[in-house]
Amino acid sequence: MLDPQRIRRCLEAGTSVLVGTVDTRGIPSCCRASAITSDDELKTVAIYLPIATSQQTIKDIATTHRVAVASTQVIEHVSIQLKGTANTARLARDDEAALVEQRYRAFADVLFKLGLPRRLTQSVVHWPAFVVEMRVEEIFEQTPGPNAGARLR
Amino acid sequence: MTSCLRLSDISRCFQGIIPSIIATCDSRGVPNITHLSQVYLVDDEHVALSCQFFNKTRRNLDENPVACVEVIDPLTLQAYRLRLKFLRSEKNGPLFDRMALRIDAIASHTGMSGVFRLIAADVFAVESVELVAGFLTEPVNEPEQHVSVDGMRTEVRGLQLVSERINRACDLESLLTEVLHALEDYFKFAHTSVLLWDDAGRRLVTLASNGYGESGIGAEVGLGEGLIGTVARERRPLRLTSLEGDLRYARAIRRESARSRTNLEAEIPLPGLPDAQSILALPLLVGNRLIGVFMAEDRDPMRFGEWHEAYLEIIANQIALGIDRMLERPDDAPEPAVSHPRPASLPLSGKAPARATGARCRRFIYYRSDDAIFVDDQYLIRNIPARILWKVLGESKRTGRTDFSNREMRLDASLGLPPVKDNLESRLILLRHRLQEKCPDLQIVSTARGRFALRAEAPIELVER
Repeated sequence: MLDPQRIRRCLEAGTSVLVGTVDTRGIPSCCRASAITSDDELKTVAIYLPIATSQQTIKDIATTHRVAVASTQVIEHVSIQLKGTANTARLARDDEAALVEQRYRAFADVLFKLGLPRRLTQSVVHWPAFVVEMRVEEIFEQTPGPNAGARLR
Repeated sequence: MTSCLRLSDISRCFQGIIPSIIATCDSRGVPNITHLSQVYLVDDEHVALSCQFFNKTRRNLDENPVACVEVIDPLTLQAYRLRLKFLRSEKNGPLFDRMALRIDAIASHTGMSGVFRLIAADVFAVESVELVAGFLTEPVNEPEQHVSVDGMRTEVRGLQLVSERINRACDLESLLTEVLHALEDYFKFAHTSVLLWDDAGRRLVTLASNGYGESGIGAEVGLGEGLIGTVARERRPLRLTSLEGDLRYARAIRRESARSRTNLEAEIPLPGLPDAQSILALPLLVGNRLIGVFMAEDRDPMRFGEWHEAYLEIIANQIALGIDRMLERPDDAPEPAVSHPRPASLPLSGKAPARATGARCRRFIYYRSDDAIFVDDQYLIRNIPARILWKVLGESKRTGRTDFSNREMRLDASLGLPPVKDNLESRLILLRHRLQEKCPDLQIVSTARGRFALRAEAPIELVER
């Protein structure tokens, strides 16, 4: 059952965003994203991936277009997974840097509450970034527990 | 495995401090991505993942047995990617037992026994390990290694000294106190406790602690209840790092389960530090016989490593043997040939308070139906130690006698002491500590091996209900 408020929470600042892709041989890859946004009630999402660590992810998207994105409120483990396709990836523009910075700082604040020192989280690269525009085809519940995997949309 | 990195080089990544991530893919080429609470290091070529729910990751592995896992070093935040090939699911055996113990303990602690449990230990071959280049702006300096050759020498020396103290202890109370102090002195384990197994009550009772504001002596845990109860039931050591993360994960499952179930058990409060991040709990065993549980905890999420577990197991074995030796020891104090009641030094029920001038009267109430004693309306003690206290207080009231022997306690069937392994000494320690905490005006003092005396600094009133 789709709970818009619950889903929206998973896209707010301070969430952990993970991206899974697959190559043409069926070999999966993973990558951590810096930010996720949606302007159209999750019909599409924009995912910001650090260029330095997302080379394989971008290659996979270019060939198979399949993308899975997990977005998680890490303190409460509330989580959703979006699945869909992406046809393009582009370099993030300079005017998007502030958004990425603000989202990453919010996530670092959450990690600080969980005990990770800022001197460590500050050293994680999150810019420059690629932007992957994904068309969302399915949304799944991913909060650990008996309902994990239930299709929400 | 292709790469110059060995799994043992990045062993910190497998302590479960920072959640890992896993990507899999189904037979139609649809990827799936999720967090993992912990990746278990099996050996330099294998890792294992816990299967707690038959979820999408698990189904994908059946269809397409490859995965990509990213782990993070909790001290540097450097990320590493592992290419995995799924080999098999183990549903029993040493690996399964080790992984299940951790999950069972957390589940029991959060009232999720039976809901949150290990279904299988999924074992993978690690085909490659690579450092994720560019993950950090610059490499973070490696923290100093905890275990150097000098450090090991110091710790082995510490082991020797702790062992000596155990060997020299003349009674159970000094054995436990000395050991816990020595562990703080030599190993900096500042928060420790020992619980003894009471076979008659089928519970573990806290008998000694170090490093807590309140001693917690007398606190009880049932077999299989919470972290300590699980260690006692399984008779295997448990080392938890990043406890808060594990508890948050389990509570998320509990919250989600509660949406469809209402009969979850009440959560058991964690004994000891409210903000403990690491726990090391070891069963105290002689053969396979449970003597008790030793527990150490710390606020540092990475406080206890494999090395600590190994040498604390040695110490735990010595503690278990030491306790067993104390419990087996005969009372060699002879019974007094003639009973000469001394003048009452225990001022009871308004009788002449010889040493209690000006002290307020302490009121002891024994609730027969609950088998418990309250002092000034505060809970003091229950079960066998309560019966012992009531017996000696009553005897003192009737005869003025204040000296007693362990032997006469053992001969009194009304106390309900088990015929063998009666743990009388530990019950007296418990009683002594509870009195110290709740009624310091009344003391039980050891006077010789197998003998003790009542000392009162205030008038005592006895009421039975």
